[in-house]
Amino acid sequence: MPESLNAVIDALPYLLAGSAVTLIVVVGAMCLGLCLGVPLAVGQLYGQPAIRRAIGVYVWFFRGIPLLVLLFLFYFGLCTALDINLSAFTVAIIVLGLISSAYQSQIFRGAILSLPEGQLKAARALGMSDRRAIASIILPQALRLSVPGWSNEYSIILKDSAVAYALGVPEIMARAHFVATRTYQQLPLYLAAGVIFLVLTYLGTKGLRVLEEKVRIPGYSPQGG
Amino acid sequence: MRCKRFWYGVWALTALCFLSSPAALAAEKVYINGIDANFPPFAYVDKSGNPDGFDVKSLDWIAKEMGFKVKHQPMDWDGIIPSLKAKKIDIVASGMSITEERKKQVNFTTPYWKIKQVLVAKKDAKVTAEQALADGNKIGVQRGTTEAKWIEENLIKKAGKKFELIQYDSAPLAVEDVLNGRIIAAAMDDAPALDAAKKKPVKLLGGFGMADEFFGYAIRKEDAEFLKKVNEGLKRLMKSPAWAELKKTYIDK
Repeated sequence: MPESLNAVIDALPYLLAGSAVTLIVVVGAMCLGLCLGVPLAVGQLYGQPAIRRAIGVYVWFFRGIPLLVLLFLFYFGLCTALDINLSAFTVAIIVLGLISSAYQSQIFRGAILSLPEGQLKAARALGMSDRRAIASIILPQALRLSVPGWSNEYSIILKDSAVAYALGVPEIMARAHFVATRTYQQLPLYLAAGVIFLVLTYLGTKGLRVLEEKVRIPGYSPQGG
Repeated sequence: MRCKRFWYGVWALTALCFLSSPAALAAEKVYINGIDANFPPFAYVDKSGNPDGFDVKSLDWIAKEMGFKVKHQPMDWDGIIPSLKAKKIDIVASGMSITEERKKQVNFTTPYWKIKQVLVAKKDAKVTAEQALADGNKIGVQRGTTEAKWIEENLIKKAGKKFELIQYDSAPLAVEDVLNGRIIAAAMDDAPALDAAKKKPVKLLGGFGMADEFFGYAIRKEDAEFLKKVNEGLKRLMKSPAWAELKKTYIDK
């Protein structure tokens, strides 16, 4: 086994540098998903019927098409057709972010729905505009309640990001593949890639658990108990 | 107010991630060479992760000689010509065979390497190239290559052979399946086949009837000026002692 062990040790710095790429893609996609997901959720719940329908179509589109198809559609299809020159890296963040925004919007939507309806009415009774009430009363609570579902989203995007290797993004999987084809040490290298993903999943969910504790409202339950 | 700050933070982080994209950091014109990093000994990544190989080092030499900057970017072979046309890369110096069909889409430099297509089988396999292509067998090949196209058109469609052609992401993965016994042989270029034979218990069965091909660097049609520059550099490289040196280091090692 020493030969295969050597291959992994030699490749480790290279693979770990790939995990930095993976993390930037994942953080970028999650932030983009958050920025788009919240307005989508609010729009789907409180918007005009036309807006609701449009958001419904958006969510259906990005949840219904496989990631690999979307990546190729954007990178080779749209970028070429519209003559915009985006790197594979940028396209990976955009596509993962758009998909994530569709999923995240449903996480937020569920959290908003779990809040007692009376809150919005009470805010109106106090003279708040709907916009103000949603921004200052509903969302701060809903976002806190969304953190557990959001942690789940992290591990999903993290694993999905490996598919970006098909575009040539030099993330963990692509790098493991490059080294494996040069050294013909397939088993140890894909094993190493898997272990790096496990560690990243563990650290990420652990960090989000800390966040969940930190933003929890003590003694609060959405049913107003 | 805290809520607002939170959103500014999230947007800033999003922008930061986009900005860390390598393309955004390039200040001066650097020509990007798209390579198939799964194609040793012509293009691969070395131990520390830097692109290396015969074609990579050749282009580095040419760039230095002709005074331009080049960066090598590993990418998927399947989409390498669309990427070149879409200006995601500027040149392909990565063991690309010159074909009529590709010539319709991109320009090629003068040929610099002659390549034979061979079949690779297990070292202890007792088959000839002819027997390997018998009906019912499974043959592996890399997707999007000239050999994949040729086998499909000539052996399967025209000659009516009934072996099963299995398409892989890269030639080394096809070799891996030869070793696993999932396929009887893999069709590929002779240089990477010899590279595989040095690292794994496989052997070359010989050719399967496909004509010899030549490698050239592919460049976008509209970049005539750049093509001229690279051609001139290639000419100088092939005349210089560095050429024999490169061959010794990468191909005959």
